[in-house]
Amino acid sequence: MPDLTPFFNVRSVAIIGASNKPGKIGNVIVKNVIESGFAGKIFPINPKETVIEGLTCYSSVSQAPDKIDLAVICVPAKFCPDVMDECGKTGTKYAVVITAGFKEVGPEGLELEKKLLFICKKYGIYMVGPNCVGIMDTHIPLNTSFAAGFPLKGDIAFISQSGAMLVSIMDWSRSIGLGFSRVISLGNKADLNEADFIAALADDPLTKVILCYIEDVHNGRYFLDVASQAAKKKPVIVLKSGTSQAGAQAASSHTGALAGNDLAYETAFTHAGILRAHTMTELFDLATCFSYQPLPKGDRVAIVTNAGGPGIVASDAIENAGLTMARFEKDTLDALRANLPAVANIYNPVDVIGDAGADRYAFALEAVIKDPHVDSAVVLVCPTTVTDPVSIALKIIELHEKYPDKPILTAYMGGVALAEGVKILNQAKIPVFTFPESAIQSIAGMVNYVRRADTLVGGEEILFDDINPNKVKAVFYDVIRDRRSVLLGSEAAAVAEAYGISTAPVRLAISPDEAVALAESTGYPVVLKVASPKIMHKTDVGGVKIGLNSAEEVRNGFIEIMENVQRYLPDVVPYGIEVSKMMPKGIELIVGMTRDMQFGPLIAFGLGGIYVNLLKDVSFRLAKGITHTEIAAMIEETKASTLLRGYRGDKPADMMSIIDMVARAAKLILDFEEISELDINPVFAYPDGYSALDIKITIKL
Amino acid sequence: MKNLYIMGSADSGKTAMAVGLALKFKQEGRKVAYFKPVGTSAAAGKADEDAILMKELLTMEASLEVIVPTMASPFYLSRGNRSAEMLETIKKAYQEVSRNTDLVIIDSAIFPYIMGTIGLDAPSLALELNASALYLINAKNDYSLDQVIFFNQYIQYKGVPVLGNIFTHVPRPIQAKIEGVYKPLLDNLGFRTLGIVPKVRELSAPSVAQVYELLGGELLTGEQNLDLLVEDIMVGAMTIESALGYMRRSNNKIFIIGGDRADMALAALETSTSAIILTGGLYPDVKVISRAIEKGVPVLLVHYDTYTAIEKLSELSGRITANNKESISKAVENAERYCDWKGILNTLCIE
Repeated sequence: MPDLTPFFNVRSVAIIGASNKPGKIGNVIVKNVIESGFAGKIFPINPKETVIEGLTCYSSVSQAPDKIDLAVICVPAKFCPDVMDECGKTGTKYAVVITAGFKEVGPEGLELEKKLLFICKKYGIYMVGPNCVGIMDTHIPLNTSFAAGFPLKGDIAFISQSGAMLVSIMDWSRSIGLGFSRVISLGNKADLNEADFIAALADDPLTKVILCYIEDVHNGRYFLDVASQAAKKKPVIVLKSGTSQAGAQAASSHTGALAGNDLAYETAFTHAGILRAHTMTELFDLATCFSYQPLPKGDRVAIVTNAGGPGIVASDAIENAGLTMARFEKDTLDALRANLPAVANIYNPVDVIGDAGADRYAFALEAVIKDPHVDSAVVLVCPTTVTDPVSIALKIIELHEKYPDKPILTAYMGGVALAEGVKILNQAKIPVFTFPESAIQSIAGMVNYVRRADTLVGGEEILFDDINPNKVKAVFYDVIRDRRSVLLGSEAAAVAEAYGISTAPVRLAISPDEAVALAESTGYPVVLKVASPKIMHKTDVGGVKIGLNSAEEVRNGFIEIMENVQRYLPDVVPYGIEVSKMMPKGIELIVGMTRDMQFGPLIAFGLGGIYVNLLKDVSFRLAKGITHTEIAAMIEETKASTLLRGYRGDKPADMMSIIDMVARAAKLILDFEEISELDINPVFAYPDGYSALDIKITIKL
Repeated sequence: MKNLYIMGSADSGKTAMAVGLALKFKQEGRKVAYFKPVGTSAAAGKADEDAILMKELLTMEASLEVIVPTMASPFYLSRGNRSAEMLETIKKAYQEVSRNTDLVIIDSAIFPYIMGTIGLDAPSLALELNASALYLINAKNDYSLDQVIFFNQYIQYKGVPVLGNIFTHVPRPIQAKIEGVYKPLLDNLGFRTLGIVPKVRELSAPSVAQVYELLGGELLTGEQNLDLLVEDIMVGAMTIESALGYMRRSNNKIFIIGGDRADMALAALETSTSAIILTGGLYPDVKVISRAIEKGVPVLLVHYDTYTAIEKLSELSGRITANNKESISKAVENAERYCDWKGILNTLCIE
């Protein structure tokens, strides 16, 4: 992992491509460096100038009189490699390349970017960009960007793949007084990427919360490792765009990212303990709350309001967000009853009613915040004629200072009348929202972070001593020799068996006679299924016959399936027909996987059968490092778990055996990277064990 | 009789079998010539490709016009009935080709019935040239066997001896059925099965170059990888999530997609793909080209729609060229290992 702390401790900076022409990026950056109050040495580099913005200009990097900690490069793309080479020769180890015209413009640009990266690697230079806005640091302070504004000092770090997004946010943040510690524009991520900076910022004492805007992840595995480490130390909040299909397309045409499957991102983020924001608003709401307030100890929320309606809206939001309405202890209720007007509501949400002044608000808020059954409080203020938003704000600030361990959030529900109060709260770092839902959402985010941090202890890795990888290798060898990607059902069953997954016995027959012979030896009733790697959905082409009870039925079934397949898919030559024992009906489950290009294999569990795609009752986990506890949790997430526990008088299914099966499937896909798809559907769960009926495996040649 | 007339439908592997048997017989010390009385050409004025190939492989002295003396265009009747004149040309050319040879392998037009209207179909010519027939079949289902028997019987009825049949491009799953069901049925009717040749990609899969030739359009990248083989065709018309399943199942495919679907093209490039065909004349995002260059996958842009592209591709089939050593050695290996070439040779030489 690269040591990036020098980026946060720069003492000398060179701007290569500095300019005297107002409006040119080379000029804007020099001005920004000066205006940010940078106390170190500034070396503008430009062979045609002698003085830029009052500073001595040098003709080249080698002419600079002192060591350069950070090189900011904004010369045209074609000159960048030479400049980087010179930086390398003079011992500069950190660089930001602002210049565009690399990977994002096509093959020639990609070549140039590779060349640039090669030079960086040669000299051990760490590079941000190219095609980025630059980096800003309020603590050095240093602004090497060409953005219009420099943020206020604060403890939020922001890493952004989009330069424009970063510039807009910086400008906006000043209007609400939100402060940042370090701000990094990633650009094309040729060398340093989001994971490198998350790792560096995790150990940065001046950063309390890490925000990320990304369109793709550079290296999924590395990102996960780094992010889960970082999330244990401080909140990491990510807005990953490209979630919708249109978004994915936009992302792919934007930075050349093959936007990964969104599901994989969701699962991976959960796994790593990353909080995922789905909107820009959510991203900064969460950032504000984490930056301004302490972490809640639990999910019990108290509401103090001066009107009934908003109280109900807030209560609904609490329930929908999976939080709990706090139930006050008797002392609190007694105090509230004694001191609030008789018409006030002393139960949560506490309604101090419309004529409440600042003192009544303060009394109620203090009463609930010190209640041990309350983990956080939200104050709702509606502008009635007697409402004094400023005094209320001052009281809230006072109480927050008195009780600094419990988060207090506010919703000032109005506009003009409440503006002054909002301003005061912002300055005092009390998060203030216009409507209660966003406040509740933010608490939910904080609670999720706390909960996740508790469970991130990492359970026992699951080990097996009864699996047979060589058997699997042998099957794959035959399949590959046959130049196929898709295993036949009988082959897939053999693979599953090798990993201790119990399957319904299945054998391949290539003639009606053989099918009958196999059926006789298995025992009736049997199931016939067409065997062909070309057929994805066998039922759709009339390729399945179930419940066959005699030799005659099997013989006819064989021929009918062949005829059906020929009719639907004239060019497909089936390998034969698979004969398997018809298993008694159980609870239909599905266990599957998808292999994400970024994050590796994901294991899926859910309600199986033919309605899988309709019901979509499936939960996912990363297969790597999965534990029994986690499998139990993923089963719990599905409706299938209700069925497994015994629904309407049914006997409960053998949960331990199902958990074991999922673990074995996860082990299989981890051990064999060539498996690109695994789909076990249905699995019949019984009160004593289970049986995997149909297994589909696809491998990479 | 020293003449072997190879017949079969388009895509039955006639050329591969001609190459295999000719080279095998040559190895056995026989002087072998190749003759194709009725040829077809890819474009007007161009010579028959099989003739070019065989002339080179067998180092024949005869000119291409002699090896393929006549051509059958799909509008040959518009030139009037030149039956007698053409037969004369064919016989003369045959005399020249067969001079000083032990064996002549005669190749039929793309279908055995071509020029039947003027009496120059393959069985009629076999009779004229005193040849035995070897009928090849690329069996797809039971109807294919019907076709073999129908043709065998017609050839016999014409008075031409039927040497036997060879099953070509046989997918592994139906080898057993051919052995166990088709062969005995043919035996009962008195027809010998002289070979069951398994499908090999080197002989059945066309190259990207052929796809390019067939579809036209602009090659955006991948000039150096046009020799990649195409084993499957896939059209991208769904979301990435759904398509990935299909993409992973399909190896060495050409992937056809609208030029504006950068997401799908990029996903396809992550799976086994031999070429990407972009339709609708829509130039792709630069990222697609960059990735294709990295992966070494040719990208072809065509200016018509996806359906038209697929229609055109239906004409695609594997083809052997003289400089493709791999496919030629496969053709010989097939003749050697899976065909009763000794039986064929003996029958020809004894009779």
